Amino acid sequence: MSDTAFEVGRRTPRIARLAGAPSYLIRWMLRIVTVSLFSAATVVGVSLGIGAPEISPTSMVQQPVALSDR
Amino acid sequence: MRPPRLIATALLALIWLGGALAVLQVVLSAGVPTEGAASLMAHASGMAAGYGAAIMLILMSRSPWLERDVGAHRLARWHGWGGRLVIILTVVHTLLAVQAWAEARSTDRMTAIKDVLSLPGLTAALVGAVMLLLVGLASLRRLRRRISYERWHFLHLLTYLAVALAFAHQLAGSDLAGRKSVQIAWSLLYTYAFALVLRWRVLQPLFQLWRHRLRVEEVRQESPNVMSVLMSGRHLDELRAQPGQFFRWRFLTRTTWHAAYPFSLSAPPTCERLRITVKARGDGTRRIFRIPVGTLVFAEGPYGGLTQRRRRRPRVLMIAGGVGISPMRAMFEVIDLPGKDVTLVYRASSEQDLVLKHELDEIAERSGARVVYLVGPSTDAANEMSARALNRIVGDLSDHDVYLCASPRLAGRVRDSLMLGGFPRHQLHEERFSF
Repeated sequence: MSDTAFEVGRRTPRIARLAGAPSYLIRWMLRIVTVSLFSAATVVGVSLGIGAPEISPTSMVQQPVALSDR
Repeated sequence: MRPPRLIATALLALIWLGGALAVLQVVLSAGVPTEGAASLMAHASGMAAGYGAAIMLILMSRSPWLERDVGAHRLARWHGWGGRLVIILTVVHTLLAVQAWAEARSTDRMTAIKDVLSLPGLTAALVGAVMLLLVGLASLRRLRRRISYERWHFLHLLTYLAVALAFAHQLAGSDLAGRKSVQIAWSLLYTYAFALVLRWRVLQPLFQLWRHRLRVEEVRQESPNVMSVLMSGRHLDELRAQPGQFFRWRFLTRTTWHAAYPFSLSAPPTCERLRITVKARGDGTRRIFRIPVGTLVFAEGPYGGLTQRRRRRPRVLMIAGGVGISPMRAMFEVIDLPGKDVTLVYRASSEQDLVLKHELDEIAERSGARVVYLVGPSTDAANEMSARALNRIVGDLSDHDVYLCASPRLAGRVRDSLMLGGFPRHQLHEERFSF
């Protein structure tokens, strides 16, 4: 490797050099990103659902009124 | 390949079924107040609006499966009326909820509004509803004409925030509260919708920018108000773009980075180059004309099903109006038919507006295809674009696949005439770019 090529190689950030990786590696990387993203969405979705209120704020206020009306 | 119409119909049926289930579970829910019709309607419209908002996010997520198998213009059409429906349902829900509250507590509406807004998550939901309403108003035909594409696009991005702001209220609403499985399903609907948007509208273009390093190589004038932008990059074959498809382009300069414009490829893509041809319609598109060579380009896509994959008949008629020639020019070069029975009808109001003419003539001469130029005022009988006139040009129109790309007015005229003339709908393929 010539000095100039070495300089360019050293100065280019690793992430930018990765952009030149072969297509099959890139395809796998994208698949992993997609699976990770949807796994994270599943975890967040389930946590939000589990942590959601058991009793609605609206029914908390409405019920006593409805009962006292009767 | 399965026909897009069949997939679209099945998907639409699934969407309606989901909506019906969401509303039905309100009616069947034990927690539904029975004080009056206003209350029931408020709950049903709220659930339908919440469900519809998530569906709108999914439809506009640019997921390749949806774009390829349903079609960009069909998705945009669904989004158009679906979005309106969601906004109407949101407004109806807001008004009826206040009314129901006032009835239940025997109070006036102002007090009811104050009471409702003091509940957790309701102020954020109201802000979201107002934002949605603003987006809806900006999309009304009369107002939309006065707003630039860039402003309209920016306003539209607010819908993500609006939907997120309303989420807490939905999850804690009396229709879902206390029913864990439904709350989890509802949360998953939203997190998956946002994940789809993040994957295909944010990560994919960022990845493409990083991988392909697309840059403007040349900006070439085609006519006084039409330019071609040639871009070069690396590994562009991995995009699997086909002639006839389009990208949403964002040119990363100080004045143009904020708006993404949908433009079709005007030449078949190669491993190193992509080309678009753009007509100046407003300040935004005019700014593209002054883009310096070397500008980085953020490209979302490829999108659209206006490709030769749609072809079913042995003969092809392409109809282009004005700058609608872009996707047709790209397809014209590559469409491969036995006997080369391809006719391109290119309509323009003047000779000056016939862009890429020399390229079309060259392709026609090389491939044996035919180009028919219809130039001059539309009142001239020779420029008629009716089904009868097209039949005269190509002979036996019903034996053709028709590809159409023109201004909304011209495309509408041609479409209506073809449909009235009994031309089979599934043989007409078009891409519409009006916003």
